[in-house]
Amino acid sequence: MIVGAALCASPPLLHPALTGRAVVLPELRAACADAVARLLRSDPGLVAVVGPAAATGDWDPSGRLDPAAFAPGIACDGAGRSALPLSLGLGAMLLDEGGYRGPRRLIAVGTDEPASACAALGAELATGATRTALLVMGDGSARRSLKAPGHLDPRAEPFDAQVERAVRAGRFGALLDLDEALARDLMVTGRPAWQVLAGAMPDGGAMPDGGARPDGGARPDGIEIAGAPVAEVLYRDDPFGVAYLVACL
Amino acid sequence: MSSAGVLRLGRHVFGPERRLVMAIVNRTPNSFYRPGLTWDPAVAMDRVHEVVAEGADILDIGGVPAKPPDDVDAREEIRRIVPFIAAVRDAYPDLIISADTWRHEVGLEACAAGADLLNDTWGGWDPKLAEVAASCGVGLVCSHAGGVPPRTRPFRVAYPDVVQDVLSTTLGLAARAVAAGVARERILIDPAHDFGKNTWHSLELTRRLGELVATGWPVLVSLSNKDFVGEALDLPVDERVAGTLAATAVSAWLGARVFRAHEVRETRQVLDTVSAIQGDILPARTVRGLA
Repeated sequence: MIVGAALCASPPLLHPALTGRAVVLPELRAACADAVARLLRSDPGLVAVVGPAAATGDWDPSGRLDPAAFAPGIACDGAGRSALPLSLGLGAMLLDEGGYRGPRRLIAVGTDEPASACAALGAELATGATRTALLVMGDGSARRSLKAPGHLDPRAEPFDAQVERAVRAGRFGALLDLDEALARDLMVTGRPAWQVLAGAMPDGGAMPDGGARPDGGARPDGIEIAGAPVAEVLYRDDPFGVAYLVACL
Repeated sequence: MSSAGVLRLGRHVFGPERRLVMAIVNRTPNSFYRPGLTWDPAVAMDRVHEVVAEGADILDIGGVPAKPPDDVDAREEIRRIVPFIAAVRDAYPDLIISADTWRHEVGLEACAAGADLLNDTWGGWDPKLAEVAASCGVGLVCSHAGGVPPRTRPFRVAYPDVVQDVLSTTLGLAARAVAAGVARERILIDPAHDFGKNTWHSLELTRRLGELVATGWPVLVSLSNKDFVGEALDLPVDERVAGTLAATAVSAWLGARVFRAHEVRETRQVLDTVSAIQGDILPARTVRGLA
């Protein structure tokens, strides 16, 4: 069963060792830390980090991001360990920073994985008895400004707005309708991971297996939930032309 | 910090990875570069504020041009630099102050006023200077000037091997300074580009600077706008900044640790870039390709 979920951004610059002497985007880093802290308050028996990568599959739970792939020559923790794809490595880092020592799965979902397969993967995560928290890694379009990595594409803003609306409203099913080709054009990395979330957390607040968050029921932290899952957006901005969205559900 | 390769100046301790800018503030009316720029004491103090803001680690205060004529005696040299050193010390209690002098009488007064380092550009011409450094507990720059008297221009200078000559002179002076009681970690060696050398010699010394670095003594280089840069490019004194910075970058790459310079901001940027390339410091802020 799913007991909580968080969306976090996954740019390399989230890793403090990669930005030199400067602290870059402290507010984004703080929002991600906050989202993970809240996620861990759901008292999970397992945290599943879901993030885009070249191919779908589980990675070694003891793996970490190797920052040297982005910054050859730097010395920091994680260098030389089993190197994870960026999104999973950052998710693992956030769990480490949040003090989480419990079981974790690191699940890559292929960047070209179709929505149906993503949804199926999410549904499978939700079916077990294990109290599972989802840490969903990924970003919106990287074509949101003239200086963005992919320059400006006018389709980027409405695409990202569609994602944000769905998350805020808890209508995750809408994420399954995202245009895969358009997402690829817009350099969106989060699409497959978000669709795993959609598969794991159906619309309308009915939790898989009917029990985690029944209408009017109590979450483990005692907060009353009525109706749709409450999604709180902790950060949304595109300071470098890439859409970052941090939310907890 | 391991004591290997440590350089101590004033109360500061620098590891071998640190590259320091020594800013030139001349209390002279007639130095070769921008003559008279800081002859007026108030202007000189403004210049100090400026170079500190630009990232100077050390201030080198001199009262006698390297070139002839206009003999400046010790009393006049003291008059030019000692009150100014005292004023800078008052304004900046922690700033490293170097006195650019070869004379022990001047060195003694300079140290009493607050100098941390005696920059003896003329190759130990006055052997008592090392004794002053020892008795005052300050540092000493041991340089190579080809054995000529201070303020002498090179005339048909030749060496079988200029680098060997520089090594034997500077290492000899360093050993003498240690014997006189100067703290080992407060001694630097300086090949003294252009002093007792033609351009070929200075270029060779720059090319083979690694041989000086390999001695383990911290190496100071004084390259700023000098004739060897000018002759390499056939450019007058006011057009040598780019060449100076190129020589600075090469020297930094080869391991020099202190850079005596007129252009402090530019030198600081060159040194920080070299340090980032060598991995001695982190880049200031990296986001390119990481968003």
